[in-house]
Amino acid sequence: MSAALTPFRWPASWKDASALALLNDTSVNCLLAESGATPGVVVGEAMRRGLAVVDPTAPPAGVSITKGEWPGVQASRGDAVVAGPTGNPWVDSNGWRVRLEAARHPGARVWIDAQPKGLVSPDSYPLAFADAAAYGGRWIISLDDRFAADVAQGKADVLASWKKLTAAARFFDDRKAWSAYTPEAVLGIISDFAGNNEYIGQELLNLVARTNQQYRVLRKNQLAPASFAHLRAVIYADAVPPDPAVRNNIMAFVQAGGLLITHPKWGNAPGIRASNQDNDKYVLRISGKGRIAFAKSEFDDPWAIAQESVLLISHRYDLLRFWNSGSVGSCFSVAPDRKRALAQVLFYADRGPEDAGVRVAGNFRSGKLWTLDGKVSNLTMVPQKDAVELHLPAVARYAAAELEA
Amino acid sequence: MPSNCTRRDWLKSVSVLGGACLAGAPFSRAFAAPAPTAPVSVGRCRTYDPKELLPVMARMFDQIGGIGKLVRGKTVAIKFNLTGMPDWRLGNLPVAETHFTNPAVVGAAVSLIAKAGAARIRVLESAWSTTDPLEEFLLQGNLEPLEILHAAPNVEFENTNYLGRGKKYSRLMVPTGGYIYPGFDLNHSFTDCDVFVSIAKLKEHTTAGYTGAMKNCFGNAPATIYGDGAGVDEPSLTPRGGRGDCLHDGRRQPPKSALQEKDPRTPRLETYRVPRIVVDLVAARPIHLAIVEGIKSITGGEGPWAPGAAPCSPGVIIAGLNPVCTDAVSLAVMSFDPMGDRGSPPFEKCDSTLKLAEDIGIGTRDLKRIEVVGVPIQSAIFDYAKIRAARQAKQLQQQPDKRG
Repeated sequence: MSAALTPFRWPASWKDASALALLNDTSVNCLLAESGATPGVVVGEAMRRGLAVVDPTAPPAGVSITKGEWPGVQASRGDAVVAGPTGNPWVDSNGWRVRLEAARHPGARVWIDAQPKGLVSPDSYPLAFADAAAYGGRWIISLDDRFAADVAQGKADVLASWKKLTAAARFFDDRKAWSAYTPEAVLGIISDFAGNNEYIGQELLNLVARTNQQYRVLRKNQLAPASFAHLRAVIYADAVPPDPAVRNNIMAFVQAGGLLITHPKWGNAPGIRASNQDNDKYVLRISGKGRIAFAKSEFDDPWAIAQESVLLISHRYDLLRFWNSGSVGSCFSVAPDRKRALAQVLFYADRGPEDAGVRVAGNFRSGKLWTLDGKVSNLTMVPQKDAVELHLPAVARYAAAELEA
Repeated sequence: MPSNCTRRDWLKSVSVLGGACLAGAPFSRAFAAPAPTAPVSVGRCRTYDPKELLPVMARMFDQIGGIGKLVRGKTVAIKFNLTGMPDWRLGNLPVAETHFTNPAVVGAAVSLIAKAGAARIRVLESAWSTTDPLEEFLLQGNLEPLEILHAAPNVEFENTNYLGRGKKYSRLMVPTGGYIYPGFDLNHSFTDCDVFVSIAKLKEHTTAGYTGAMKNCFGNAPATIYGDGAGVDEPSLTPRGGRGDCLHDGRRQPPKSALQEKDPRTPRLETYRVPRIVVDLVAARPIHLAIVEGIKSITGGEGPWAPGAAPCSPGVIIAGLNPVCTDAVSLAVMSFDPMGDRGSPPFEKCDSTLKLAEDIGIGTRDLKRIEVVGVPIQSAIFDYAKIRAARQAKQLQQQPDKRG
């Protein structure tokens, strides 16, 4: 049952059960009602209507709730935007959290608990939903106080925003088949993501995602040969050397042609020195058919590692490559038969870009573009060598290109 | 500059003239011999297909007297133009069909230069705000670096926006003393070469009116020293941002480790500074072979950020052994008057880089003194001037009437 739940945190200001009518004809089918905070009459009426009522401190079986950030371009005081290390806007996203939690709890449905920071733009709610859903999770729909009050009062413009939010929820609910798609990746990040490794492991996931390099979460004690399927590289950034089993798994990947990016905490550097490939920060070594990029100093800056990993792998192997896209997030996945692919794109700036485009690796003959309102349109596709270039219309927040080989 | 001369030859030739500038006196052609001239070839080329491009460029090189004497046994550096971010396009058009020098043209030049006997070729550009290798920068722009790397043996890239593979920056002095800077600290590649080639795009420029073989060399200046994020005492390790504060607007000086401006009282106007700094850079690092690629390009400015920028297909390449002559012919192909100066298109608001270069004896911009070979200018014209006038008229109409 949990797989089908779309959770909604009942606003504290909604005291009247009549507000449940707002959920009619939406895919919201689960209320998060904090004990003592939600009126009993609301809980009773919700249950009578067939809605699941869940105490957030006791999630239903098969659901894992994890804390998240309000997604989007991080704004500081006023309209100023907080910059990242490159001067580009800093983006918060929960995609990596969904993936990490899914790796920790295979088969579980991941709910992201990210409440609005103060008052947010009503138009940002659909993005909050899509930011989790694109990666297979569900955002616990949570309204800021003003938006909740305005919705309850039936203000026309706010109701329009509410409908956009519930349309976004419906959009993903109607596309359950996409959850069977497997995310494609060129880079695996290996860690236990806990203890001393929590910061660097989790920040690596966050910051590799910002590069739009498609990545896979690999828990180091759960590695199997299949963990490395289709990868070109892995990063091992933990603060302790891998135990022999982990090391053997990783080195088997390298021997077969993969790239290991690691640092002195790995222990003795394996392989044979290939000094002609060295760069400022890495000593390159050869082992079997693969390479090891061995950092000259211990990893301490996840942003730098993320950036360097893209170059060590090379943009030549980008699965998705964007232009004119602004602050963008992405998830590229393929159907079990590998004949269909899905490129989901999230635009984090308030205003969607014009003339955005994306190059998708692979040979595809046709495609269509979905937006959160459920509309579908034909895609302008320009064939390239082993790829297609997609020209996107001006869309806000989210677009999904469904491609067929 | 006489064709086929080395930097050393040229330094000797201008040393007498340069003395006047070093003494503080502005140098003027009125006191000097006429600026040198060299033939310029105009070639018609409609596509980037090597089957069309390579023969056209080979013929053009022959028409300017051949490049064998220039490059045989030499290390050749080629500076091309990749202005802006690789993921910033004009609409959905590929960057190399609007504002980047197309790699096919660079590849063809590399192939011909190697065939003419060059020992080694290094392809240079200062990639925007990054130390990424140029190969990766090109790939981000959806361009194939192998088109250049595989065009000949012994070809390599270097991102010159920072120290790169060098151990230290190379200091290149402006032999005439310089309009703004007496010399520059540049990536080692600008001195570790015998021959320097500029392959530019045929475009207008928002600040300098026109960008061609000489303006392309504005990018010779590493942003670690001449950029917004340069250090105060020493160069920064990595380039951050553009060159707006230091070179364009003169709001700051380069790090103390570099030569400072000659006179900080000169106008802090980019329309004054940029043309002069371009000429200083070209004087410090002379161009032996200038190629301006206008097969496909843009009107309205140097990149998609320019207001009113639009794609165009002039279908033309211009090449010569003197950069001023080559830029003059390029301007004429754009239907602008190369003898024009501040106030006339495309220099309505700026000084003419060509005139400033001519004034210090780099080359003539006078078409009457330039032998144009290949396609006649009249047959090659793509009327940028007309499009510019129409665009300006439209922009004027769109401005609100502020009269009371």
